[in-house]
Amino acid sequence: MRKFNHSSDLEGFRQELLEERKDITSTIIIPNGTCCQAANSLAVIKAILQEIARQGVDKNVQVHLTGCHGFCEQEPMILFEPGNIIYCRVTPEDAREIVGRTVKGSEVIERLLYTDPVSGKTARTEAEIPFYQAQDRQLLQHNKWVDPRSIKDYIAIGGYRALVKTLDSISPKTVVEEVRSSGLRGRGGGGFSTGRKWAEARSAPSDEKYVICNADEGDPGAYMDRCLLESNPHLIIEGMMIGAWAVGAQKGYIYVRNEYPLAVQHARLAVKQARDIGLLGENILGSSFSFDVEVARGGGAFVCGESTALMTSLEGKVGEPRPKDIHTVKEGLWNRPSVLNNVETWANIPSIIMNGSGWFASKGTKGSKGTKIFALTGQVKNTGLVEISMGTTLHDIVFNIGGGQKNGKAIKAVQTGGPSGGCLPLSKFDLPVDFDSLYEAGSMMGSGGMVVMDEGTCMVDVAKYFLKFLQDESCGKCVPCRIGVDRMLEIVTDITEGRGTREQITLLEELSETVAETSLCGLGKTAPNPVLSTMRYFADEYFAHVDEKRCPAGVCKALISYDILDEKCNGCGVCLRACPHGAIKGEKKKVHAIEPQLCLKCGICITECKFDAIAVG
Amino acid sequence: MIQTVTLTIDGVPVKAAKGASVLDAALEVGICIPHLCHVPFLQDTGACRICIVENVKNGSSRVTTSCTLTVQEGMNIQTNSEKIRKLRRNLAELLVAQAPNSKAIQDIAVRCGVKEVRYPFRNENCVQCGRCVRYCTEMWKANALGFVGRGKNRRVEFPFATRPDFCKNCGSCTLYCPMSITPCGGPMKRGEEHLCGKCESQAVTAPNIIGACTRCELGKGFSCTRHML
Repeated sequence: MRKFNHSSDLEGFRQELLEERKDITSTIIIPNGTCCQAANSLAVIKAILQEIARQGVDKNVQVHLTGCHGFCEQEPMILFEPGNIIYCRVTPEDAREIVGRTVKGSEVIERLLYTDPVSGKTARTEAEIPFYQAQDRQLLQHNKWVDPRSIKDYIAIGGYRALVKTLDSISPKTVVEEVRSSGLRGRGGGGFSTGRKWAEARSAPSDEKYVICNADEGDPGAYMDRCLLESNPHLIIEGMMIGAWAVGAQKGYIYVRNEYPLAVQHARLAVKQARDIGLLGENILGSSFSFDVEVARGGGAFVCGESTALMTSLEGKVGEPRPKDIHTVKEGLWNRPSVLNNVETWANIPSIIMNGSGWFASKGTKGSKGTKIFALTGQVKNTGLVEISMGTTLHDIVFNIGGGQKNGKAIKAVQTGGPSGGCLPLSKFDLPVDFDSLYEAGSMMGSGGMVVMDEGTCMVDVAKYFLKFLQDESCGKCVPCRIGVDRMLEIVTDITEGRGTREQITLLEELSETVAETSLCGLGKTAPNPVLSTMRYFADEYFAHVDEKRCPAGVCKALISYDILDEKCNGCGVCLRACPHGAIKGEKKKVHAIEPQLCLKCGICITECKFDAIAVG
Repeated sequence: MIQTVTLTIDGVPVKAAKGASVLDAALEVGICIPHLCHVPFLQDTGACRICIVENVKNGSSRVTTSCTLTVQEGMNIQTNSEKIRKLRRNLAELLVAQAPNSKAIQDIAVRCGVKEVRYPFRNENCVQCGRCVRYCTEMWKANALGFVGRGKNRRVEFPFATRPDFCKNCGSCTLYCPMSITPCGGPMKRGEEHLCGKCESQAVTAPNIIGACTRCELGKGFSCTRHML
């Protein structure tokens, strides 16, 4: 590929690409992200390509493999453009019919269309699906047009135009001003004003500065950054280039965790492609600006998502946080001013430059502007990536986009912000989702994980789960995090196993405060949040565990017992055969009984029994 | 000439050399901030968190370790507020519950006002203050000791768990280890751990002078900088 030496070359190349592509009559889009591949999209793609080769279609039909389209529940999906027809849960066996009828015959196969589980209606296009209706997809909308392995696709949809605009006509100072007035706040969780961060880094005196993209996403149930980086890596690189121009950096790093192989692969490929055509390197597009990006892989430590730990890890040392009395924008990587932003923050930059800060600030609430991607998971009907304007209520997200409860149990809480966030009860579902209101309610925005919980979830158990996670992931450098979180886990385990006392609850509260106040880094400072928020909103569950030795949700094994209801059991013997521990006794056609000494409360009998005859109490 | 800055510690104006840590500045003028992982000639990492202070700025305060906090002109530091005393007590309680078999840790617990331990004792041999590792790395440049593992499994270890040739057998790691002296009553067996508390009379309890250094015996126990220099 040729190298571009002037900004007009890029525009010329775009025109050439559009000219080349104007004959394409229809496009088959098959999302192929990590989540899609887990849902067997590779087999579907293979089958479709084979069918196309076998049946022979018009040469102007193009097959396009892209990143995830967001609706992970219904994957693997196939989209058809023009017409925006969506097929859900496609299997390789459907390939023949799809190619034969839809591609060649322009006919819609009703059976593969999406059926809304709430209303029972089928939907043909994206606009008819409630999951997509309530969203405002600013960052995710590009995904379906861009093959992450092709820089041409990104340029064809108008990529790198913001960079050209910046290099041609906007001074670094104005870029910082623009980002500041857009009101963009860091999407990694802290919510620090990006513009202020850039301004500080810009004014810091140094011969060398760095911009870093934090793609070390590790919250359980969150995968927004993975999706963005593996679906549209050039968007991130463009954002980083604009940031580097603004603060005066010559070198950038994308720190991506090694557990995201596809993201690593796509990021590396994107960097190479950009370098090949002269968008990275010396004197980019003939300007005085030189910048290069390196992709660094993280070894999978959760704590390396913390800014100082990430930089220590980048320096090649053990990824442990450093004291942050001097900010990283002044002394960061190799003690040079460094701007560390999350993937999603970088992804927002090009559109702010293209459309202006006013456009960005017009979305969202007073303190939080723009859109935010959430990974909606848990006990809701529609799970997937959801991009909404800031200020949408939790109720809208869970019930309108998510489609409400899944297994017939009422929804009782939503956990936001991963291990650093908290659980918000149903009574708080009217809260607009933005940085400040979530923080006030005792949770936090976090990177965007959103786990919905129903009546079958024990909140003490949830707190225990997150403490266990944090105890495993704490680096162990400072006392409150290493010993304090361990002791908190000890207390919560006591509570879930029926040894808890009222004094321990008081101690847990006091310890939470100590850990939050005195820990070295953000991981420890926010570690008590899951405990504190569940204690704040679900105190009755804690007291039920401690005082009555009872688990209201029927989750904590030490506090529950299984019983067969005499009036419902008809003696079919299914549970008796299913029980791996031989704990169920009884004769055919007679009521069975569970021997408590042998029962390990695995729950297999409950799933096997067709008559709901087994009760947990 | 040494450049100095003026800051306020516990309401007292203090002059300190530019670039010094708040902990050093306070100890210099006889304000007692208990500390464990700090050794005067080694780099501070802020691991034990015992030396926490409140950094008051524009009406709001931030809790941070004084060993890693560099003095700045006009700083306002509270080393002994109600909040700090409570947090420090909780931290010392965590430490003494983890490793009661050490005079240094027991003394710190007394100094920080721990009266009872509300956690089950664990009786471990290391609190991971990192003095040995830093001494070995920074003073002798031997790198014979290092931290291995993460979180609960983090521990001090030789490279690949065998003593390397470049360990000069100097013994500094043992010398600076706070765990090397057992409590006065002798080592505590498993199940018999308790708060020693014999030196309680040494602790300054009068509320108005609680932050003043009296060069107490407790300091010897946890190798307080004032006793080391």
